[in-house]
Amino acid sequence: MTPKPLPSLIAVIDIGTHKTASLLGQIIDGKARMLSFSERRTDGVVKGTVTDLEKLTQCVHEVVNDIERGSGRAVDHVYLSLSGPAAEGERVKGFVAVPAHDGKVTAKDVADAIASAKRLEPPSGRATILYMRQPTMLDNRPVSNPVGMAGKRLEVNFWRVTMEEGNMRMRVGMVNGMSIRVRDFILASHAAACATASDADKQGGVLVIDMGAGTTDWILYYKEHILCAGSIPVGGEHLTNDLSVALRISRETAEDLKLRFGSAMHRDTDVNQTIWKDGDKGVGDQQFNRGTITQVLSLRYQETIEFVRKDVLRRLEAIFPGHAVKLDQNMIPSGVILTGGSASLADAAEAVQLVTGLSARVGVPNFENESLRKPEYAGVVGLMTAAITDAPPPVRRPRGFLAQLKELFRL
Amino acid sequence: MSTPASILLVGLGGAGCSMVTRLSAQLPAEVAVALLDTDARSLPAGTAQTLQLGRAQTRGMGTGGEAALGLASAESEEAGLRRLFAGVPLVVLVTGLGGGTGSGAAPVVAGLAAETGATVLSFATMPFSHEGERRMRQANDATVKLGQKCHGLVVVHNDLLLQQVSPDAPLSESFAAADNWVGGAIRGLASAFAPGALIAVDPAALRSLLSTPGSPTLFAYGVGEGEGAAMKAARAACDCPLAHAPGAVAKVASLFVYVAGGTAMTSTEAFEAVAAVRARFGGETSTILCARIEPALGDRIEVSVLGASLPAPKAPAKPKKGAKAEDPAQPIFEFATEESMRRGLFGGTPMTFIDGQDVDVPAYIRKAVRLPPSP
Repeated sequence: MTPKPLPSLIAVIDIGTHKTASLLGQIIDGKARMLSFSERRTDGVVKGTVTDLEKLTQCVHEVVNDIERGSGRAVDHVYLSLSGPAAEGERVKGFVAVPAHDGKVTAKDVADAIASAKRLEPPSGRATILYMRQPTMLDNRPVSNPVGMAGKRLEVNFWRVTMEEGNMRMRVGMVNGMSIRVRDFILASHAAACATASDADKQGGVLVIDMGAGTTDWILYYKEHILCAGSIPVGGEHLTNDLSVALRISRETAEDLKLRFGSAMHRDTDVNQTIWKDGDKGVGDQQFNRGTITQVLSLRYQETIEFVRKDVLRRLEAIFPGHAVKLDQNMIPSGVILTGGSASLADAAEAVQLVTGLSARVGVPNFENESLRKPEYAGVVGLMTAAITDAPPPVRRPRGFLAQLKELFRL
Repeated sequence: MSTPASILLVGLGGAGCSMVTRLSAQLPAEVAVALLDTDARSLPAGTAQTLQLGRAQTRGMGTGGEAALGLASAESEEAGLRRLFAGVPLVVLVTGLGGGTGSGAAPVVAGLAAETGATVLSFATMPFSHEGERRMRQANDATVKLGQKCHGLVVVHNDLLLQQVSPDAPLSESFAAADNWVGGAIRGLASAFAPGALIAVDPAALRSLLSTPGSPTLFAYGVGEGEGAAMKAARAACDCPLAHAPGAVAKVASLFVYVAGGTAMTSTEAFEAVAAVRARFGGETSTILCARIEPALGDRIEVSVLGASLPAPKAPAKPKKGAKAEDPAQPIFEFATEESMRRGLFGGTPMTFIDGQDVDVPAYIRKAVRLPPSP
């Protein structure tokens, strides 16, 4: 199978709980030059789950119209991000016994092993969205390319992401409604990692945590490959909600106080530090104890990171049953990269360091356009990066369900 | 007892019975006590009237956390319950939700009491977050049902009570704190109706206050002692965790304020306390006062506050001459459901459980962390 030629135009849409962002780029020498960008407040998504399809569809249509108008180019296919609890990942493996005549692995053996891995049906009612390659093992040793090497047992592994069929149809249909095809889905956490982690980070081992408004998605790279990924249905909205409940203030006020006075760390010096809501001390201005704000936010922030830490461990134990898995700097030398909108909270990296015991830093997407160099845009910028680098993906999904589905919706 | 008592304090289920048993020693004589449970072991023979529910269903073993079984048990004992409530003007029901007897039987018991003509005020404790998903769901369902059956429902979150004790306090102290809040509240309410009050009030007044089943109920309790005890007590009541439950009613139309103090309490002090409480909770439509001297309190003063928002009138009243017509679309009060109290902006969305905890509930509530005071 020859890789498809890279299209010169790539459009990506990142649908988040809080906002929907879209980016249209022209690909020149493997690099994206931004043609237009649009973001709008998302309606109809709560905690990463679609609750009002009509509103969400309208919102997606608006961003697509925006980028078309902004660039003067027509968009005919897009890459969609996939995040939250709807996308469930698991490891699938396939293996073959290498034929004994000379004991050397051939390309056909590899293809057979891949086919056997992909023969595993997803749970009923779920559709496979994508496969991501994991290390290939020859006689239990990781090898990058086994062809030509001698061995007895060849094992290939994939991280398979599945999604409930109805949910996926809904997403595809939403975009098809304006005569645009979904070229591919890209895992949002993978996208965030593509924007913020270097190849050296991925080579050594890095945990990327993408903390958005409704969900916190994470992905773990080890020796260049995706080892596992997951999602926690808690995000920045929960920070705002906690604050609004604790101080009995509106969501808008809570959001504002979170950005201005919030922190992921609670310090004794915050207590009795009085802050004013508006600052003009006029009618309707309210004063709050800053200690209350940092206490409420730090408890939620650190708890969420702790949920991520436990989720990582749980998945690692499922992959390596019987092994004592430890999350430490030896296994993950590049530590944690924290990104997404909620990574901008003050002292966020420090809190992650405290909870995980790993070094942590806030990841800013590496992009030519300065206005997008903020953690909250890691998702959309990463989609573009991932779409370019994965364009001839290591493994192409066979024309299966998704392809048929696309036909169905292209009537 | 020849005449029925004016107040019947009912403990329902394991948690309710143990709390009422602990309280019964401190109650004035006018308060009768009854214990109801499916588990025969929590019904000690003694001064209190006891009624074992669902002998046929559970054989004295308790419900094992099955609300359906609690419901059937209470229904099978209907005749006995009606006899128990006959002629009692005010029934105070104390129960712990989450388990089988409390969650299942409480709406039935409250409904029967209301049918016999009593005013029913319920105190219900919600399970700790750590007790897991099933009990929390069961308790949430029960508060909705119970709220429709009784005239007033005060929900006590165990998580919030935990915040009131220091983090390194022993577990027994946390439970003692829970007892303290609910106990003080009930004691204050019970003494308010006992004869001998300076400013007396009868259960009918409470009934008019809590006239509508299902309307949100406010309850607060505070104690102060020493110099300026009345103001200290009023401030403590304003800061009471029961009134600060997330989403709890902040301002109400009608208030019932009860002040009790030792012989040294002056009327100025008492009225100062009432004014402070009114400033915090409202009570513009009507404020019912009750004061009482209890020598046993010494220099301590207790303040209990009970309030309800008046529901929207069924038929729009004719506007008075010259009065501005009210905007009919303006809601008089917002019905605060149990769920929205704890979950804030996520009220109404499906619960999300991680490690058996509903993660939409603020982390500080689940972890029972006491927040720094507001300036």
